[in-house]
Amino acid sequence: MQKIPSHTKARHFGMVIDVDKCTGCASCMVACYSENNVSFRDEESAKMLSLNWIMVYKLTNGESFPDTEVCYLPQPCMHCDGKEFGKPPCVSVCPAVATDFDWPTGIVSQIYTRCFGCRYCMAACPYHARQFNWWDPVWPADMEKYLSPNVSARTRGVVEKCSFCYHRFQLARQKAYHEGRPEEIGEDEYQTACTQACPSGAITFGDLDNPEHEVYKLKQDRYAFRLLERLNTNPSVYYISKRKWVHRMADNYLEGEVPAAFAENEA
Amino acid sequence: MKIDRRCFLSLAGGLVVGHLLSPVPWKMTDDIAIWSQNWPWTPVPEDGPVRWKETVCTLCPGGCGVRVRTIRDRVVKIEGKEDHPVNRGSLCPLGYSSIQYLYGPSRVTTPMKRTGERGSGEFEPIGWDAAITEVTRKLGELRQNGKSHKTAVIAGDDRGTVPYLFKRFLEAYGSPNFIRTPSGRDAHETAAYLAQGKSAQNVGFDLENAKYILSFGCGLLDGCGAPGYQFAAYSNFGEDHKLVQVEPRLSNTAARAEKWLPAKPGTEAALALSMASVIIDRGLHNRNFISNHAFGFEDFTDDNGNMHKGFRSLVSEYTPSKAAEITGIDARRIESVAVEFARSDKPVAICGYYESRNTADIDKTLAVHALNALVGNINQAGGMFVFPEPDYDLPEVQKDNAASAGTEKPRADLAGSDQYPQSRYLLNLLPKRILEARNNDLPVEALLVVDANPVYTLEESEKVQEAFEKIPFIVSFSSFMDETAKMADIILPDHHFLEGSRDVPAPAGVGMPVEGFSVPVVDPQYDTRNVGDTIIDIAQEMGGSIGSSFPWDDYGDFLEKALSDRYRDLTRNGYIVNRDRVSGISDAFETDSGSYEFYPTRRHTADNGDTDKLPAYREIEIPGSNTNNAVALVAYQSPRIASGAVANPPFMTKTIDSKTLKEDKLFIQINPETARNLNLKQGDEAVIETPAGKATVRIDLFEGIMPGLAAMPAGLGHTAYSRFIAGKGVNVNALLRALPDPAYGMNTAWGIRAQLTKA
Amino acid sequence: MTTSAFPEGVKRCSGSQFILWLLPAFLVLLIAAYAMFRVWGFGLNQTNMNDAYGFALWIWADLAVIALGGGAFFSGFLAYIMGVKQVKNIINFAVILGLVCYSMALLLLGLDVGQPLRGWFIFWHANIHSMLTEVAFCLTIYLGVLIVEFIPVILENPKIQRIRFFHHLSHNMHEIMAVFAATGVFLSFFHQGSLGGVPGVLYGRPFAFREGLFIWPWTFFLFTWSAAAVGPLFTASMCRLTEIITGKRLVKDEVYQLLAKISGWMLLTYIIAKSLDTIYWATVTAPSAGFSLMSFYTNNPLYGIWILIAEIVICGFLPALILITQKGRENRRLLFAAAALAIIGLCINRWVMVLQTLAAPLKPFDEWFMYSPAWTEVVTTIMPVAVGIIVISLAYRYLPLFPQERELNP
Ligand SMILES: Nc1nc2c(c(=O)[nH]1)N[C@H]1C(S)=C(S)[C@@H](COP(=O)(O)OP(=O)(O)OC[C@H]3O[C@@H](n4cnc5c(=O)[nH]c(N)nc54)[C@H](O)[C@@H]3O)O[C@H]1N2
Ligand SMILES: Nc1nc2c(c(=O)[nH]1)N[C@H]1C(S)=C(S)[C@@H](COP(=O)(O)OP(=O)(O)OC[C@H]3O[C@@H](n4cnc5c(=O)[nH]c(N)nc54)[C@H](O)[C@@H]3O)O[C@H]1N2
Ligand code: SF4
Ligand code: SF4
Ligand code: SF4
Ligand code: SF4
Ligand code: SF4
Ligand SMILES: [Mo]
Repeated sequence: MQKIPSHTKARHFGMVIDVDKCTGCASCMVACYSENNVSFRDEESAKMLSLNWIMVYKLTNGESFPDTEVCYLPQPCMHCDGKEFGKPPCVSVCPAVATDFDWPTGIVSQIYTRCFGCRYCMAACPYHARQFNWWDPVWPADMEKYLSPNVSARTRGVVEKCSFCYHRFQLARQKAYHEGRPEEIGEDEYQTACTQACPSGAITFGDLDNPEHEVYKLKQDRYAFRLLERLNTNPSVYYISKRKWVHRMADNYLEGEVPAAFAENEA
Repeated sequence: MKIDRRCFLSLAGGLVVGHLLSPVPWKMTDDIAIWSQNWPWTPVPEDGPVRWKETVCTLCPGGCGVRVRTIRDRVVKIEGKEDHPVNRGSLCPLGYSSIQYLYGPSRVTTPMKRTGERGSGEFEPIGWDAAITEVTRKLGELRQNGKSHKTAVIAGDDRGTVPYLFKRFLEAYGSPNFIRTPSGRDAHETAAYLAQGKSAQNVGFDLENAKYILSFGCGLLDGCGAPGYQFAAYSNFGEDHKLVQVEPRLSNTAARAEKWLPAKPGTEAALALSMASVIIDRGLHNRNFISNHAFGFEDFTDDNGNMHKGFRSLVSEYTPSKAAEITGIDARRIESVAVEFARSDKPVAICGYYESRNTADIDKTLAVHALNALVGNINQAGGMFVFPEPDYDLPEVQKDNAASAGTEKPRADLAGSDQYPQSRYLLNLLPKRILEARNNDLPVEALLVVDANPVYTLEESEKVQEAFEKIPFIVSFSSFMDETAKMADIILPDHHFLEGSRDVPAPAGVGMPVEGFSVPVVDPQYDTRNVGDTIIDIAQEMGGSIGSSFPWDDYGDFLEKALSDRYRDLTRNGYIVNRDRVSGISDAFETDSGSYEFYPTRRHTADNGDTDKLPAYREIEIPGSNTNNAVALVAYQSPRIASGAVANPPFMTKTIDSKTLKEDKLFIQINPETARNLNLKQGDEAVIETPAGKATVRIDLFEGIMPGLAAMPAGLGHTAYSRFIAGKGVNVNALLRALPDPAYGMNTAWGIRAQLTKA
Repeated sequence: MTTSAFPEGVKRCSGSQFILWLLPAFLVLLIAAYAMFRVWGFGLNQTNMNDAYGFALWIWADLAVIALGGGAFFSGFLAYIMGVKQVKNIINFAVILGLVCYSMALLLLGLDVGQPLRGWFIFWHANIHSMLTEVAFCLTIYLGVLIVEFIPVILENPKIQRIRFFHHLSHNMHEIMAVFAATGVFLSFFHQGSLGGVPGVLYGRPFAFREGLFIWPWTFFLFTWSAAAVGPLFTASMCRLTEIITGKRLVKDEVYQLLAKISGWMLLTYIIAKSLDTIYWATVTAPSAGFSLMSFYTNNPLYGIWILIAEIVICGFLPALILITQKGRENRRLLFAAAALAIIGLCINRWVMVLQTLAAPLKPFDEWFMYSPAWTEVVTTIMPVAVGIIVISLAYRYLPLFPQERELNP
């Protein structure tokens, strides 16, 4: 394991999303566009050409009327720890180190000015969490005025993705530094835009390794699971659902296999 | 010359080294890369000190508190205001997108005058002075010709100071025709008037404190009513909270509900009455409330000696098994929900919350209100409230003869007429009246439209468009180039809410008497004016008693006086909660009986008979014919599609999934079973045709919708605004047709029969 | 006496006939140039790629073309390192073919990246853990090696030979060619492997992911092995095609048969290894992530189990068995039919490793992602063929590629 510089406090940011609470409203998506200068076009229905750092999927249990159930599953970048800690699938493949695992935070970064758009990282990411800028971004009318200076606008030809609103971490760290408590950043001083935006309180964000943070407790919930956990990507985003079929939709199972949270019951 | 190995190697080596040492290729490669990292056409947002400002969102009736991140003179981000009582920290997607409207391409940036054909969208800029002069001249002419009553105002709301100023203007000018756009709110108001004797007041539901919410089709989590408020209430749901959703389609609300009761559409009254029968049968009703505050619960004899059936007798006809037949919901489920509801600590039943196009159904609304009365949950925490409208302490309107004569005339929309004496606004009847006018005797010759977009939001849009084409003079005050503004002769653009001041009255439906106030957070970006100022200017320019009825310097001055003692708190905090204006149960009723009237004695009935005053289930024959390939088309709301208020900004359209909208075609949801009968598959193109119109759509198979229904998202199919929304999908209103209630004139159609065939 | 521009003692067609022959190829080149202009000018939105297909037709073409061009390195390996004399009769041709393949592969890569102007970041900011870095380095260096290997062939043009400097240069270069060939072979073994590593290391993509040896997934070895097996068959087939087109015998049958024999055994061992790999993957690797073999071959309009059968049985075992039998080799038609099958099999392999890898849904609520290339992609993918025709025609016309030509066409 790589040595972490001793002067930086190691954190491991992550999310827990209670999909039984999510209403599919998409506030998180819009808040993210706005926070992160995500561009748009007039044609957005082809989702594999559209930039969405967090995507809310609609899942159905497939039962016929009226036993149908629907679940909404918001999915940002999972900020995977990787099979080997610090080696998310997308990072080790990038030939130009344009995306990296940030040891002090566990955040997977993306450097737009370094990325030359080979898209190998996209092939490596099983979550479709990464998107390519197929077009030059254009902000019509006076919309350039609303762009945030904290996040650089991307150009055509580079890959982008959710950053866990890393600039907010930087701002919080700066503030803490100026206030003379460089290593202390309160749980609510660094929250992502989507977490804040969620009107249903479905998203919780914090340091997964800090017992004082809400996510620390939530990730240990009996019904917590991760998306495609069996691929060994080790995501830092957890989900909670009490519904078995939702667990089944979150990973692949062979015939006869049962999601872990329900294995005991069945045995 | 013989080149030996050494010579060759040194030559090759020299070449390589020479190249490497020469800075030219390296420098150039590097420069090109740097250039590619700073393409001059990629914006670099300017940094600066961050300031957070607070105001209130007015993009929908929700009235959420917002915090606005500004950098110098730019608005960079909108977020929810943590301590705002309505939304408590978060916003709906429309709120988060609202900065796109501030800077977006669909704004009307300066006063405009129509140059092309009506509806062509061809305008030329015209200065404010010239524009206002043109409006006053036209309105003055009409008034001079004794036709002031032919001027009408269509407004999106009738609460708050802006609608007030328009009402006041019409009164001083001489017209009875202030018309609020139709919505389910009409039904709640009517029900509150009939059962509680409260006229023109707000019905609200305290979802924050309720423990058991029994919703008859309110899209609480689909964007209905005040979405911010409902989401906030939902986010605080604990283990002891229950939400039961009655709806024929597994909406987002139904999906999140503890129980989903997919009753056949239009049968909610039967379901509610049957639940009432269960509650009464088992003696679970609130005896204290019934004995002290109820009228018409038991059979009674009126002063004339006529016997009347009471609520108890009525509902006994709606046994669960009979209701099961009507609604398709299992009798035992009806019973168990009824029992849970009545036994709950704080139960509340709601329907067509605030406004909803589906619920201008008086019987259903009365039946649902009656459920709240049965459990005594009126004007109680966690229950149903009736709040008074905010009042303004202002000098009397001065009326000259022309004004008095004009305001006495019958209304253009027939509201309040002998036929519909208890209705306040009936905009849905107006287009037909205009189209059927004889000898060019149009009921409306000048129309002012504020905060409304009737050309898009009324049923049978094509007819509405035709009707509007006949109106000689239309003025729009819209901030955006919406469908109605596009039809106007003059547009006098209002500010975006981030640029101007305005009071935001209690969002109807919200369970607390909150009043908000929005303040400018940026300078106006374009040559726009606060609509309050504009109407004051128009009145003053008209002069005479009209002018003197508007004795204020400007809208700001007016606001200060109108809001009087509330003004300071409102401007300082951005909101106030008028708790003192909520009474307990003691004065909840202003009926003749002084009680909650289960038997609404005042109810006007079409045949003036009195047997049908009690709420009852009456089968609604929706328009259209029932053929082999017929489906019942209903509209549904999605939180990702703005369906009232403004049209989708680009960000919201970006969130729409590709099974709702793809390549500008919208998908209608049908059950796979329906699809099999109609020989349709996922993604197929199909033609849907109703008596009102026809459209090409795509098919989305969804198990969660009742077989036989087709659901179409509301809010698409715009023809105006900008290329980011115009031309995408179909306006469901273009396919719908209103079915007026014979006694109230409001639309009672929950849907329309449509023929669905493979394209 | 004027020196002919043609190699000594051979006949070539007339100039006008030659130009006529090249015309269609130039036309394709022209359209491809326009497509490249569109792509570099307006960006990758000119293709049908999307976020599901970050890699598409071009990357497949790259992998396929490089594998086929691998005939150059393996022939070099046989000729210079193993000292198989017969192979020298075809080595020049193999080098040219390799050169075309590799240069086209690099061009396609240059088209494929979103920011070609920063393409060199792959060297400057190299991430040594990335298979793509390995590919880029090896590919570029190997292209250099191929050019060096090609120069003496050019220098052998009679007109150029008359210039003393070039004459000596060519002589000297020939002497050290073995060193370059050896370097090339090493690099090639390596980058064919890294190409195989590209999909093989994607542990988030269970269709492609393979376990392996140290840092190398099994695909690393399988790619090298298959390129070494099929590359010479491709060289031989192209050579045979040239024979048919020119109507001349250029290489003796024994050369073909020797290459076929070597390739046949290579192919057989490869396909056995590939089968073992597939079985292990289907029974151990993929199921550990919750996938059964058939999850990758059902519920979609294209990728059925037929594709696996085609790759392994019809385009693997079948040609291998033909080629290892003497009877099969001695029947020229059978030999080249087998070669064609083997080439198709290799192309299928590269296709599925790139495209099917991306097409297969991972999240149970995803659907198969389908894609059809845009014209810009198709025409630029055909471009290597056009360039190949032009370069080989020129080379054949002006350079002594085939030492046996004179003997075979007296
Ligand atoms: N973001 C955003 N939010 C908004 C608005 C906006 O523009 N943007 N507009 C606001 C306004 S003005 C309004 S009025 C509300 C409207 O919002 P809602 O009041 O929710 O109105 P609808 O979408 O008509 O109806 C909701 C549900 O009723 C179901 N339904 C249809 N027919 C029937 C029936 O016969 N019986 C039953 N039980 N259910 C039925 C449909 O499936 C649909 O899902 O939304 C408000 N919220
Ligand atoms: N068939 C059918 N009929 C319906 C509905 C339906 O969904 N289907 N919905 C019903 C319901 S619930 C409602 S609430 C009504 C809604 O219908 P309307 O009352 O017509 O309201 P909106 O569509 O919200 O139109 C508001 C318009 O005001 C403009 N505007 C936005 N902001 C401002 C501002 O700050 N100042 C000014 N002056 N203008 C502004 C916008 O351009 C927008 O077009 O329609 C009702 N009728
Ligand atoms: S989700 Fe994808 S992009 Fe994000 S860290 Fe994991 S592999 Fe990388
Ligand atoms: S697209 Fe950019 S970030 Fe992704 S692998 Fe290539 S260079 Fe790295
Ligand atoms: S964490 Fe930040 S960047 Fe990531 S999805 Fe949420 S808002 Fe977007
Ligand atoms: S904002 Fe919250 S509730 Fe809405 S879609 Fe996102 S996670 Fe779900
Ligand atoms: S719910 Fe209404 S008021 Fe609240 S943010 Fe959304 S649009 Fe604005
Ligand atoms: Mo509404």
